Amino acid sequence: MVQELLLLFLLDNDGWYYNMATIINADTSNGLKLTSDTSGEIELQSAGVTKAKVTANGLQDANGNSLRGGSFRNLIINGDMKIDQRNAGSAVTSSGYTVDRFRVQNSTDGAFSVVQDTDVPSGQGFINSLKYTVTTADTSLTTTQNTAIVQEIEGVNTTHLELGTANAKTFTISFWVKSSLTGTFGGALRNQGNTRGYVYTYNVNSANTWEKKTITIAGDTSGTWNTSTSIGIAVVFALGCGPDLSDTANTWYGANKISATGAVELIGTLNATWQITGVQLEVGEGASDFENLPYDVQLARCLRYFNYMSGNNIHAFHYGASNSIADVWFTVPMRANPTATYTSGSAGSSFNVQDNKKGYVFQGNQGDAYITTLKLSAEL
Amino acid sequence: MTITYKKVNNPLTGNNNAVNKIEDGVTETVYIPFDNANTDYQVYLKWVDEGGIPEPADEETE
Repeated sequence: MVQELLLLFLLDNDGWYYNMATIINADTSNGLKLTSDTSGEIELQSAGVTKAKVTANGLQDANGNSLRGGSFRNLIINGDMKIDQRNAGSAVTSSGYTVDRFRVQNSTDGAFSVVQDTDVPSGQGFINSLKYTVTTADTSLTTTQNTAIVQEIEGVNTTHLELGTANAKTFTISFWVKSSLTGTFGGALRNQGNTRGYVYTYNVNSANTWEKKTITIAGDTSGTWNTSTSIGIAVVFALGCGPDLSDTANTWYGANKISATGAVELIGTLNATWQITGVQLEVGEGASDFENLPYDVQLARCLRYFNYMSGNNIHAFHYGASNSIADVWFTVPMRANPTATYTSGSAGSSFNVQDNKKGYVFQGNQGDAYITTLKLSAEL
Repeated sequence: MTITYKKVNNPLTGNNNAVNKIEDGVTETVYIPFDNANTDYQVYLKWVDEGGIPEPADEETE
């Protein structure tokens, strides 16, 4: 029940009354309320300078960034491209993982180079970006052909999005992008199996200039979305695709879509470049500032999916009468029992995975048993 | 690029619980455990479904 309604009129410096167009309202259920005029905004100022705003998209700072709080709100891992365990800054020229958690896919007849780069938007606190350069153009993409940068997010980390239910949450993707080409670029959100897909677009307005993009998407209320340790949602930045994989933007489809009809096809231009950093996906309307996690925390999150355990020898020791064995505990429990890529240092030495927490070096004799490298992968 | 697989037995139990992926030009050993959540294992299962037959595991020499 409304107990009091007050419309404020105040004197300005010249003695004129002016209407703040703001209502202070108190009722028994909500306490004190400030209600904006038809502009829809309430600004909080200090010394005449706007410090924060209440808008239709919630609390924002003076620059329009969401003031949404909470740690680990960013569902993207390594969104600032700092961690590059596999390549340590070397270029990737075929489909596979680039910096941690981000992979490049390519089924076109073009070729590319993807590398961790140090060119970043000024004043944003980033030190790395991911750079895609076209080294062989493909100007005539056919059915199913595509190339893209993708991060797949594990389902156990997307449960709160409630995708595929009537309670599906609205979420926002934000990122910094820079390209030698201008125009409308496309991308998509997809489920495991690619039976649901949302096509989005963003405009690159100026060539070779960092620009921040924010895309808010109403969560999908249909389809099957995993909430297990498989793919929960995949974020796709398309850089070219065949006609069957593109469609009108801003809609959920019950089909495999990765870009918008008519979007820029970077792969069609030799030497064209596209860079990205500060990728964030969070629940809610509007983007908050990029969430900077401590490096060790971010690294631990990456290690769940890939772990370059050692470039040094891992030796086994005598065990029983005729074996040599050494337990190797993984740094963090991995998403699944990982694929182990290694080099035997001595004849008969092998590495074996016991589960997602542990493996062991083994040799069926009491010789000098060791392996020389060990890379573990439990990627999605 | 040719990819084949070879069965690997658990050296402690003798049970077949993994395969090695054998790929042209790759000198490292790629060990894939039998875990349905492992995407490399999913690729292996698809290869088997399409008619692929892995090489048998090495005989225990002890």
